[in-house]
Amino acid sequence: MQTKLDVQDLNAWFYQKQALKNVNVKIPEKMVTAVIGPSGCGKSTFIRCINRMHELVPGAKVSGKVLLDGADIYGTMDPMDVRRKVGMVFQKPNPFPNMSVADNVVAGLKLLGTYKKQELSELSDANLKSVGLWEEVKDDLKKSGASLSGGQQQRLCIARALAMNPEVILMDEPSSALDPASTAKIEELVKKLKNETTVIIITHNVQQAARISDMTAFFYLGELIEFDQTANIFESPKNQLTERYITGRFG
Amino acid sequence: MTTDLEYLNRINAMIAQMQEINETLGAIVQDALKNKKQGLRSTAYEFSKSIQLKEDDVMEMCVGSIIRYQPFASDLRAVTVAMKLSYDLSRVCRYLYNVIETLDEFEVKSCDVKEVSALLDDAREMVRQSLKAYFERDAKKAAEIIKSDDSIDQRYRMILSMHRTKPTSKTECILFNGLTARIIERLADHACYISSEVIYLVTGRRTDYR
Repeated sequence: MQTKLDVQDLNAWFYQKQALKNVNVKIPEKMVTAVIGPSGCGKSTFIRCINRMHELVPGAKVSGKVLLDGADIYGTMDPMDVRRKVGMVFQKPNPFPNMSVADNVVAGLKLLGTYKKQELSELSDANLKSVGLWEEVKDDLKKSGASLSGGQQQRLCIARALAMNPEVILMDEPSSALDPASTAKIEELVKKLKNETTVIIITHNVQQAARISDMTAFFYLGELIEFDQTANIFESPKNQLTERYITGRFG
Repeated sequence: MTTDLEYLNRINAMIAQMQEINETLGAIVQDALKNKKQGLRSTAYEFSKSIQLKEDDVMEMCVGSIIRYQPFASDLRAVTVAMKLSYDLSRVCRYLYNVIETLDEFEVKSCDVKEVSALLDDAREMVRQSLKAYFERDAKKAAEIIKSDDSIDQRYRMILSMHRTKPTSKTECILFNGLTARIIERLADHACYISSEVIYLVTGRRTDYR
């Protein structure tokens, strides 16, 4: 397994409150890593540290290293460059309501200002196809992104993240607000995405983590308690806290 | 995922009922063997049929539990182990029935059956102890049961070699003892399968016994 992200002694704070404590983990390349744990355990803080979004919150502080292909994202790398390489999809779909479906996909690329109109159009179509949305929206490309269903909006947001050609995609409970059919489409998409990119997904649904991930990280009170292959975590976890969490004894 | 573990209790209650069936039939088979009784085939068959129905019930409940509760970790292992145990107990019952069948096939009045009878006693005790290890979640005891299988295998081979060691025995007796010992040896194997499942249930690690 090739390591894509090497997290070393990562600590994070919100003012005085420490949200992450000495997290060390190697995230493998082109695999899906699920991050699970009870509310407030540091899952979201962890992934926000991976694309330098944590530091945007007032009172936030980070220490330690996050190496992306060996380069420390907290070193000389431009935070904007980090966020281009490490895309993010949020819990609630957030398409730009004043933009069309097609424009939503290439919104980030437009900001770069390096693509011609025809290229943007082609990239928009290609990314809509890669998230399985093309057939559903090909006749409505000019309509507002907000006119789509919740599940379609979320796939539109994933297409928007993919358009930037990221090396890592972070997903913060991407299907928690979706119905079972839309959730299934997102899960299929996540499994497909790992052929192209590295995926880290937060989920409160342990069954979902078991279904779609190759590796699973369990966090509790800001600490990484256990990190292992998903099959091991869900069949024979080594740590009693993991066992108790995934069997529903707490959390 | 659930904190309602009532379903595991219900599955275990059914496993215990299966073992009760085996205990009752086992006593009948042991008595028949010691006293060389014949004509019990239909009685034994009824036990075999009833344990198969119980096995179906356990399977149904286990599958239902997986669908409804989606268990993980030790809860998941408990459900998958119960499925395998129900099969093993059903096989144990079938082997007991096979002993009765074999008794009916041969004229055994003049045969010395002390060895196979003792072998059956020990194999039944292995099943009993493996179930005890299961209900007590005792991996150590389960490992001891697996070790004790070597002795069963050795005694089985000894009985098989009767045609050499006791050449004056009737062919019918040699055949009966050999066939019955083979059935009992297989029965004891299922006690070991149960024990290996207990080890997996408790430790999460698979033994290579099966």
